[in-house]
Amino acid sequence: MDIFTGLINGFSIALTGTNILFCFIGAVIGTAVGVLPGLGPAATIALLLPITYVIGSPVTAVIMMAGIYYGAMYGGSTTSILLNLPGEAASVVTCIDGYQMAKKGRAGAALGIAAIGSFIAGTVAVVGLTFFAPPLAEFALDFGPPEYFALTTLGLLLAVTLSGGSIVKGLIILVVGLLLAMVGLDPISGKVRFTFGSIGLQGGFDFVTLAMGVFGLGEILYNLESTLKTEIVTTKIGKVFPTLKDWADSKWAIFRGSAIGFFVGIIPGGGAVISSLASYAIEKKYAEHPEEFGQGAIEGVAGPESANNAASSSSFIPLLTLGIPGNASIAMIFAALMIQGITPGPFLVAEHPDVFWGVVASMYIGNAMLLVLNLPMVGIWVQMLRVPYGILAPVIVLFTVIGVYSTQNQVFDIYSMLFFAALGYGMRKLDFDPAPLPLAFVLGPMVERSLRQSLLISGGDPTIFVSRPISGTLVAIFILLVAGQTAFFVRKRMRRAPSVSTG
Amino acid sequence: MKKYERITAIITSLGGVWIMVYAWHTLKLGSIHVPDAGFLPFLCGTGLAVLGIVWILILQWKEEPVSESTAERRLWHRPLLSLALMVLYGVAMETVGYITSTLIFMVVWQQIIEREKWIKTMVISLLGTLAMYALFVYLLKVPIPPEFFVG
Repeated sequence: MDIFTGLINGFSIALTGTNILFCFIGAVIGTAVGVLPGLGPAATIALLLPITYVIGSPVTAVIMMAGIYYGAMYGGSTTSILLNLPGEAASVVTCIDGYQMAKKGRAGAALGIAAIGSFIAGTVAVVGLTFFAPPLAEFALDFGPPEYFALTTLGLLLAVTLSGGSIVKGLIILVVGLLLAMVGLDPISGKVRFTFGSIGLQGGFDFVTLAMGVFGLGEILYNLESTLKTEIVTTKIGKVFPTLKDWADSKWAIFRGSAIGFFVGIIPGGGAVISSLASYAIEKKYAEHPEEFGQGAIEGVAGPESANNAASSSSFIPLLTLGIPGNASIAMIFAALMIQGITPGPFLVAEHPDVFWGVVASMYIGNAMLLVLNLPMVGIWVQMLRVPYGILAPVIVLFTVIGVYSTQNQVFDIYSMLFFAALGYGMRKLDFDPAPLPLAFVLGPMVERSLRQSLLISGGDPTIFVSRPISGTLVAIFILLVAGQTAFFVRKRMRRAPSVSTG
Repeated sequence: MKKYERITAIITSLGGVWIMVYAWHTLKLGSIHVPDAGFLPFLCGTGLAVLGIVWILILQWKEEPVSESTAERRLWHRPLLSLALMVLYGVAMETVGYITSTLIFMVVWQQIIEREKWIKTMVISLLGTLAMYALFVYLLKVPIPPEFFVG
């Protein structure tokens, strides 16, 4: 099936009544969680994973989840601009100039350019996804166990190094995620591992309980510590349609942001946060008036908001073509597909073209829906900030508890989830980034299977990972990355050492 | 903060050593030709043990950041109370049923965690329980633990 036929088929699937409805629901929920600080897209998709059991069709389930993910990128800018409070992590950088614009009475222009930039970037990225993903999937058909082992380990390492936090902590979380994935029956020998006699653990931990505990409840528990109250919005929004001058000032920032976001989003661990930061840095560096950045420069809003949206769409490429989720939200979508009995990877395009093209086509529709939802209706989203956290938090708890119970109708899953909630809370307290945990958990079985199969194929010869061209290249990148990080760390220490000793 | 991080780093390292022993002794490593169930857990255990030590070393070098007096005050007892309440909710769901336990959970949450007035507590609790029942039981047909007082 060629790309255009696939896309036409995709539109015929995405434009059915049910799929339009779920695309809309995803876009609405996504915008809402983007607006609300303290509840990100990963947590929300985790909370909604049990619903995928009820939704019969995998296309419909993924259309909704994808809508939540890229919808959150649109909504995230609203609180950044109006309250100087990022609705989600990818909108942190939007606070800098967005809030300054709002203080100068230009909140409407900032919100408008953020929505228009997001729409253009989202559409550009989906066009890229349409043309880039099928050939990549075809290329990946030649991958064997050594290539998969090299690719998954490189992907996991990139996810840790690009997350921006402590690399040691990231690696610890990665190993913990791999170990959690090993609980239960060993897929090759059939031996029981790490169950300590518990029958409930023999089937292993369920991804839904892990995701809902670490991301859903873990985030709620951490937010409960906060004594800050959300201030009532008093900023006047004004006209949300930017003027011709606003458009002239920001159009190149939008296109640059789209390109940066698209390419950064493909890299595992890249995602929306890094792309928005990279876009801001580039816009500031090449601006005619860099001194205006931080004082309300519209390019400082347009670039990062476009970049985070493009990245959220392009991060579907490694998932749908290689079966590698690049960030926590995409890992949740990976799990949703697995729940529906579909393994994401190079065979997805050939074996489930309805899922692949249906989801891609829905992204065009979803982006158009989000533009309408975010431009004229921004006032309604702002009103949502008036819902007190004291009501929102227990309702989310109820939602997670019944949601996780509904997956297998056993209370054991609730206790498992609470264990993960405590783990997620502890991780936040100790400044760990929880994102690598679900990635390692979902990729754990693939890492182990491909490692052991590779060693079996080669008769125990570990050079199999470097002797094949694709896996050899990936291993070389892996080694370069580790060597680069180590050299960077040692240099940093050596530079600091004299200043400490003299000081 | 540094003290808690150091304790966690030691626990991480010791946990890694324990996993190595468990993988080697109980699960068996097999050989490089035919790796057994303990092969990857052993590698992961080794990784944890080493990373724990590296973390301790980094903490030795790192300077403690100066605490800012303007930093937001954080109430650590609220998450712990909430977690305990959630465990009790799970126990109550099995013993008294979904609807009763949900109502009790909402009332206790509003009173202990949020310290709301009784009228507001009752309104939020009743509406919350009804909404959950309507969404999950009536619309999504999720089977719930049976009510002790009904059956």
